[in-house]
Amino acid sequence: MSDVALPAESAPDESSLTDRFSEWGDKASDRMNPILVKETRQALKSRQFTITFMLLLVVAWLISAGGALWAGPAIEFGSAGRAFFMFYYWVLSFAIFLVVPFGAFRSMLNERDHNTYELLSISTLTPGQIVRGKLSSSVVQILIFYSAIAPFIAFTSLLQGFDLPLVAFMLLGAFLWSTTTCMIALMLSTLSANRQWQAFNTIGMLVLLVWQLFFVFAVGPMMMSNPIPFEDEEFWWGVGCTLTGVATYFFLFQKIAISRLTFDSDNRSSGIRVICSLQFLLAWIAILAIGIYFGASYVEDEVVGSLLAMTAVHCFIVGLFASTETDFLSRRIRRNMPKSPVVRLLIAPLMPGGSRGFVYLLLHLAVIFAISQFGQWGPTFGYTGTWEPWLTYWGIALPCYVIAYIGFGSAVGRWGRKITPEIRPAHARVLVVLMGAMAMIAPYLPYAFGLVEYRYGYSLMYMSNPFTTLDMLANGPSSSADAVINMLVAIAFVAVLINVRSAWTGIMELVKYQPKGASPETFSPTDDEEAPPAETARTT
Amino acid sequence: MTDTTTETSTAVEAPPPVEQRGEPALELRHLHRFFGRLKAVDNVSFKAYPGQVMGYIGPNGAGKTTSMRILSTLDGPTAGDAFVCGYSVIDDPDKVRRYLGFMPDSFGKYPNMNVVEYLDFYARAYGLRGAKRREAVDHVLVFTELRKLADKAINTLSKGMSQRLGLGRCLVHDPQVMVLDEPAAGLDPRARVELRELIRLLATEMRKTVLISSHILTELGEICDSAAIIEAGRILAHGTIQEIEQQQRRVSGQTTARTLLARVASTDDLDGQTDRLEKWLLEQPHVSRVQCAIGQATFDYEGGDEGQQNLLKKIIDDGLPVIEFHGKSHSLEDAFMNITQGITQ
Repeated sequence: MSDVALPAESAPDESSLTDRFSEWGDKASDRMNPILVKETRQALKSRQFTITFMLLLVVAWLISAGGALWAGPAIEFGSAGRAFFMFYYWVLSFAIFLVVPFGAFRSMLNERDHNTYELLSISTLTPGQIVRGKLSSSVVQILIFYSAIAPFIAFTSLLQGFDLPLVAFMLLGAFLWSTTTCMIALMLSTLSANRQWQAFNTIGMLVLLVWQLFFVFAVGPMMMSNPIPFEDEEFWWGVGCTLTGVATYFFLFQKIAISRLTFDSDNRSSGIRVICSLQFLLAWIAILAIGIYFGASYVEDEVVGSLLAMTAVHCFIVGLFASTETDFLSRRIRRNMPKSPVVRLLIAPLMPGGSRGFVYLLLHLAVIFAISQFGQWGPTFGYTGTWEPWLTYWGIALPCYVIAYIGFGSAVGRWGRKITPEIRPAHARVLVVLMGAMAMIAPYLPYAFGLVEYRYGYSLMYMSNPFTTLDMLANGPSSSADAVINMLVAIAFVAVLINVRSAWTGIMELVKYQPKGASPETFSPTDDEEAPPAETARTT
Repeated sequence: MTDTTTETSTAVEAPPPVEQRGEPALELRHLHRFFGRLKAVDNVSFKAYPGQVMGYIGPNGAGKTTSMRILSTLDGPTAGDAFVCGYSVIDDPDKVRRYLGFMPDSFGKYPNMNVVEYLDFYARAYGLRGAKRREAVDHVLVFTELRKLADKAINTLSKGMSQRLGLGRCLVHDPQVMVLDEPAAGLDPRARVELRELIRLLATEMRKTVLISSHILTELGEICDSAAIIEAGRILAHGTIQEIEQQQRRVSGQTTARTLLARVASTDDLDGQTDRLEKWLLEQPHVSRVQCAIGQATFDYEGGDEGQQNLLKKIIDDGLPVIEFHGKSHSLEDAFMNITQGITQ
């Protein structure tokens, strides 16, 4: 009999304890995500889960029995606790770092493969509920595996050498890490409905999971053999920063997965942009905090430089997606916009559309530039330390590179769309990446083909390659540093210039928007405002 | 793991009283859907009202499924709009989903799930909770006569039972509008008749608006009170079956003619009797387009009711062994064949 309670003739007259428990479960499930209820029911019946669960129990039991036999009388006075825990940790890792995340990944793909996703998507479940339901189902599975291994770990706690804080730290860390991996898996599974891409994603996912499993297998013994400095304040600062960083990415991945499942006509960008801005804000706070707190120490300059570079790379990736979107704003988005033009102006960079995405990118790069010049303006506010000059150079060069590559790429994509609607945002993104790759390789081609004799040292020819240029600026700026910086600023200025008009139009479209009771009677394919180029509005 | 209040607040609200307002429950307004240069749906407009069963008829590739997918918010229109209970599929797809049940021509089934769990899941997915959910599932099990199969794994159901389950899934949140894409495809005759009865009940007893596409036009003709004929993305005719019939007559130039059928008794010389009937009919005034088959003839008659009475009297007086004489109504199939041209995209 199913565990779904049926009323009327199916309900038993005399309710036994099992029936009452079932009824209670049914009532409790009303408060849960429908996907969680469905997935848990399915997972518990699935062969994959049953086999993994049984295998975990059998292997853990074999480890216990085999370990006890191998250790012999030494089990009583030796420190076997750590070794036992290590083996159990490996067994658990196999389930929670490989089986469960891959199950989460397949779960979403199966919805498409089994042709069930369409029916799910036309229910009243929101994309957020679908993603959270799938994720929480994975969390339930992780917890079930934890509960299976718990008795064995309890047995280990009776042995000498068992370190409770370390075990708790490792188990909690593994739980959070596995949950984040499940979120990544879910996000990857929503990225494309195309079968070829799905196959590509599956391979990528498997490689990631297997690599991660080996990493966990390697890190476990290291953590066991090197005592973790729980009493060290800096350790907890490090843990806190890592958790904060991972949490922001967790929410970013969740938002991406949700946006991939959201209606085409809905706002799929703003949530992602807001989370990215939050990430940038945290990074800026970290840069300034390190800079101010530690002052002129050379180690901290390296850290600040690395954070600046990482922020710029992140900015490039976010900008690549944000500034190549189509500018089309659906009626649904426009209808939900704030009434005040001032508010609309303020939120414009967060609204969907490539032109507004470019403004969003510029604003963030402006902050990176301002922060990198802290060594210059900091003393005004009483700052007494000094920043290395190369940080100032980097603060100019990094934003200029990002603006140049993305500015030209998004402009070419926009012009391409004017020629034919077949040019999609994805094409513009590929173009930017190819353009960047070509620009990086190009300076070395004459050497590769033996046309020019290779010379050591930096020349302006290498300017299109950001890595070479940044390396030169960091390791003792050459005489051409100022010239490079000037040229980069000029190029970035041109890239901004060719995007100014569209950016202005994109912003003003929002500011000047007049909410009107548009009658659907007026819709026709000739109404350019309402009719996006075929397919383009669906591919952001 | 528990849902927030906002998430559970998606429960189905009481449907707006469209019927009382006399507004259409379903409306397509200048709907367009282009795939590159292909005009899959080209300026399609029609309405359907509560309690109406509307046939959506067209050859393969005519644009039926595309329009239905737009209606069910699975796809977006290039231009135009569609409305379900007054809600736009573009502006309010989430509201449309509350009031619409869509049954695609083929739908997937979850593994490791039985019939009642399947329906229970969709009831939850449509925001039904507690007793409401259990009642909805039970009601659907009774309506679709699937109660006996409640514990059966859905992957093991026959085609007919699967279609019933699909219909049940559409019904579980009690939508006002149901869009059924080829629901009878692949069913055996008994299952087809049973499904037809269920659909008829949906309109007559539950006052649902049903838009149904099918290739089996004779069946559609029996359950539909209106139809829209689509070809190459364009609506060629729509309205009640009678309106389409009239339109077809106008198109073929038969303004006043009625089609009659006369059948002679089956005798040893049936061919001879048929020839005699044909010759006799061709001699009569107001008779045209005589078409004979073995033992019967259909013909157009323009002589009015009185003339038809006289014709019947004369045919008996002249000794023709006529055992059947009646007007032959144009079937949906006739209308479809006359209106469409077999254009494929």
